Amino acid sequence: MSDLDRAITQLRACRPIPEAEVRELCHKARELLIEEGNVVTVNAPVTICGDIHGQFHDLMELFRVGGDVPDTNYLFMGDFVDRGFYSLETFLLLLCLKVRYPDRMTLIRGNHESRQITTVYGFYDECLRKYGSANVWRYCCDVFDYLALGAIVLGASNTLPEPAPDDVEIEVHNSDGQVISRFLRQKDLDRGRINSTATSGSASAANGQHPITNGVSSSPTSSPSASSNKNTNNNNPSDPTSTTALTGPPGSSASSSSGGSLGNPAGAVLCVHGGLSPLIDKVDKIRLLDRKQEVPHEGAMCDLLWSDPDEIDGWGLSPRGAGFLFGADIVRTFNHRNDLSLIARAHQLVMEGFKEMFDASIVTVWSAPNYCYRCGNVAALLELSEDESGLGVLARSNGDMGRSLGDGGSSSGLGGSSSSGNWSGGVVDTSELPIRPGPARRYRVFQAAPQDSRGMPAKKPVADYFL
Amino acid sequence: MSELQKKWAKAKFSTAVQHAMAPPPPPLSLAGFNEPDEEAEDRFGSGLVPNTPQDDDSSSASSMSSTGTIIPSPGRALFARPQGFPGRSLDPIPWTTYFERELFLPAADGSITYHAYLTSPAPGSASVSSSGAKSGGSSNGGPLFVTHHGAGSSGLSFAVLGAEIRKRLPTAGILSLDARGHGLTTTNPSAAAGSGTATSAENEDDGVNGVESGGNTAEDLSLTTLASDLLAVLTLTQAAMNWTSLPPVILVGHSLGGAVVTEFASVLLPTLKPPNHPDRSVSSPARPPPPPSTSLPPTHPSPESPASASPLNIDLLGYAVLDVVEGSAIDALQSMHAYLATRPAGFASPRDAVDWHVRSRTLRNAVSARASVPALLVRQEPEPGRGKDEDQRGVVGVEENGIIREEHDDEAKTGVEEGKGQNATRAWSRTGQGKPDKPWRWRTDLAATQPFWEGWFTGLSKKFLSGRGGKMLLLAGTDRLDTELTIGQMQGKYALQVFPEAGHFIHEDLPEKTAMTLVDFHRRNDRGALVLPPKVSELLAQGKRV
Repeated sequence: MSDLDRAITQLRACRPIPEAEVRELCHKARELLIEEGNVVTVNAPVTICGDIHGQFHDLMELFRVGGDVPDTNYLFMGDFVDRGFYSLETFLLLLCLKVRYPDRMTLIRGNHESRQITTVYGFYDECLRKYGSANVWRYCCDVFDYLALGAIVLGASNTLPEPAPDDVEIEVHNSDGQVISRFLRQKDLDRGRINSTATSGSASAANGQHPITNGVSSSPTSSPSASSNKNTNNNNPSDPTSTTALTGPPGSSASSSSGGSLGNPAGAVLCVHGGLSPLIDKVDKIRLLDRKQEVPHEGAMCDLLWSDPDEIDGWGLSPRGAGFLFGADIVRTFNHRNDLSLIARAHQLVMEGFKEMFDASIVTVWSAPNYCYRCGNVAALLELSEDESGLGVLARSNGDMGRSLGDGGSSSGLGGSSSSGNWSGGVVDTSELPIRPGPARRYRVFQAAPQDSRGMPAKKPVADYFL
Repeated sequence: MSELQKKWAKAKFSTAVQHAMAPPPPPLSLAGFNEPDEEAEDRFGSGLVPNTPQDDDSSSASSMSSTGTIIPSPGRALFARPQGFPGRSLDPIPWTTYFERELFLPAADGSITYHAYLTSPAPGSASVSSSGAKSGGSSNGGPLFVTHHGAGSSGLSFAVLGAEIRKRLPTAGILSLDARGHGLTTTNPSAAAGSGTATSAENEDDGVNGVESGGNTAEDLSLTTLASDLLAVLTLTQAAMNWTSLPPVILVGHSLGGAVVTEFASVLLPTLKPPNHPDRSVSSPARPPPPPSTSLPPTHPSPESPASASPLNIDLLGYAVLDVVEGSAIDALQSMHAYLATRPAGFASPRDAVDWHVRSRTLRNAVSARASVPALLVRQEPEPGRGKDEDQRGVVGVEENGIIREEHDDEAKTGVEEGKGQNATRAWSRTGQGKPDKPWRWRTDLAATQPFWEGWFTGLSKKFLSGRGGKMLLLAGTDRLDTELTIGQMQGKYALQVFPEAGHFIHEDLPEKTAMTLVDFHRRNDRGALVLPPKVSELLAQGKRV
């Protein structure tokens, strides 16, 4: 173990470890990862991160902002390598931390964790440059094949820990921990809001069709009207979130009229690198995939790592050349069917670091500030806090293999569990599907670390092409 | 050159000849040794995939160009002379090997006669005179890949690629045009009307000893003109081939051509779509022929074309751009004159030109070079008063045809090994200084096109991202992406494919891989075949539960 700690120390200094150690590390990591399912279950609190892309110094900044391992429980949603100049150190450090603190570190696979992509976008070249051979690249690629495809976060709280007020759904911090903006959870229309920094513009947007994008801002000044877009199930007469005193655990579906529920205060959060697949209608189907292979060019596994949400109806062709586009109705149906309140994914560069879409049913988290050292974007990480009541970790339909098959839910597709027992099925309009109140989310937005120019490859001469 | 080397080279050469003379490999490897017959072979390949010559090169394609991070193992002979040169034929391959026919398409106003190579797609709804059966959009007929070359190149740049595409997608058609000022497209400012549409496979003029292309210097090569030309070629081709409608189109543009297809797809095409009148008259496109200066681009189809030959019916599935990115292209413009100056100004024969292209690694695929390079040249008889460009750049040296190989081998020692090309280029310019017998000149005077350079590339990234239809970018290196496209790529707005082992002419260097990528691109964007899962709302409308 001291070897491992020493390797961590060395990697934290951005110095690669010897090839033999890499080999051993990758071996250990594989043994560990092979035991994980395709969908890892993670308990809140957890800090969710998006693409890193070999920007090692920005990863250090991320740890500074989000807290160090093992103090903070991290979930990285893939794309650790390529493009940045320190893919090797980045991935090896994350892998070391995974081996050292398996319970505090979750790594899932991104589309760049693939042999084909890394040979083109830099990781392969970097390994060759730093070791003189492709062995290390090969070891790493073997590990890639064992990375999980997704994660389910259970037990996330509907409220942020102190000092945030209880009814804050979203809080955005800067890298120094100061609150930039807060968005309140939408409650009864006529209920007064307490809003410290953000004033809700209009209260009328809570019903029916909402503007699809949420006006999430990372600047302190542009927050008005954003919170009005937050949708909870206001069109559900038995809105459980209205008053904590009248219902079960905060934010749970349990209220006097719903007949109670099996815990699950905020619904689970599915974390996946890209998005949904038309071949996957239940989380359980992800578990059935054979993931231990190179990322295929098509099929469910490919889609999970390549797809993007988009403002369309249904499924669409992805301009990327792999995966699909999927619209709000797909997310809404999927979340409802799987008893999810939120999908967290990465894969797309967001200039503001994060972007919530479709009534906050899906969020993109991007954690590579100033991507490629020139895109000028900020990065974000997403913190989900723990539900103190402890009910969130109770068994749930998609938390366990086969759980959803136990009742009639499998055919009706209504989540198949009694936890949504207040729902009576039938032909539904997707806009009326009850949306679980999302967990309270705290985003920390951070900028690129001051770049150390040493070690950067010299600027390439201009190619003598054109015409 | 030492005696030993000479012997070695001779031995190599003779074995190569034997090899080439050997049984009947692809007929074309014979071609160089009995020139007159070379076109008799497979001229009419309609519907057939031509029996394309194989590139025997194994070494040149393997060097990584852009990343440059390969550390060679010490065991490898790093500076070994590139093998395969002596054994490789340099003889031009006629276009008939790759295309079914060529088209001379005079514009209605006679100001320009477009030249294009065509292999028709398999008949679908868009095929020859199938009366009426017009199913808007794609059908079971094959797509038409419309290719636009870069500046200084020609339609034959896509010859090998086209054949590779048809190997993988036999129903596909290829339409490869010569832009104005290039290839056999001729402009006559005096508007001498052409002699009607000639679709001639029997035209013996294979582009090598072609006519003098009219006044290069005065060409209007602005982007809008070139995009209008592309539209005109599509329209005129449809008319010439009697297609009731155009097949579904995939645009492919290399370099400047990439800018042209992008302009076409994102600027010109949207203005052509009339609100709800698919068969509206063609005479008034919303955007009139843009450039007021020279030759009006004929958006009006020629008189004899059927009314359905409306450009408004273009079913654009997607567009692919090969190795051009606004940021890096504009950066490269500064060094462009220096680069052009290193090119030889003339060649003793098309073979020499092919040789130069391969040696300098401008083109890294000898077969493609043999097909595409001859069309870049035009023979100028030596006259007392030469053009000005001879004075600027030295005429370049090539030895007599007979001993060409040995001499080249000699030079190759100093130049080519590292695959950079520049060294070789310089060596050539030096040796050839002032020799008079280099009658083969560049058909297009690239330096003269400079006024248009910036206009070609400015705003390209934005336009590329804004166009409709599938978008694909093929690059020879990731470092060529500019910021805008880097962001666009990471937001998933287009497909990116990188071939680090290719040079700038991706489609010529790696025709197979490029073809595979393009066929895949078509497959994904083929709306006829595309089946997406049903929308939730549709399921609900059918009374299904979701």
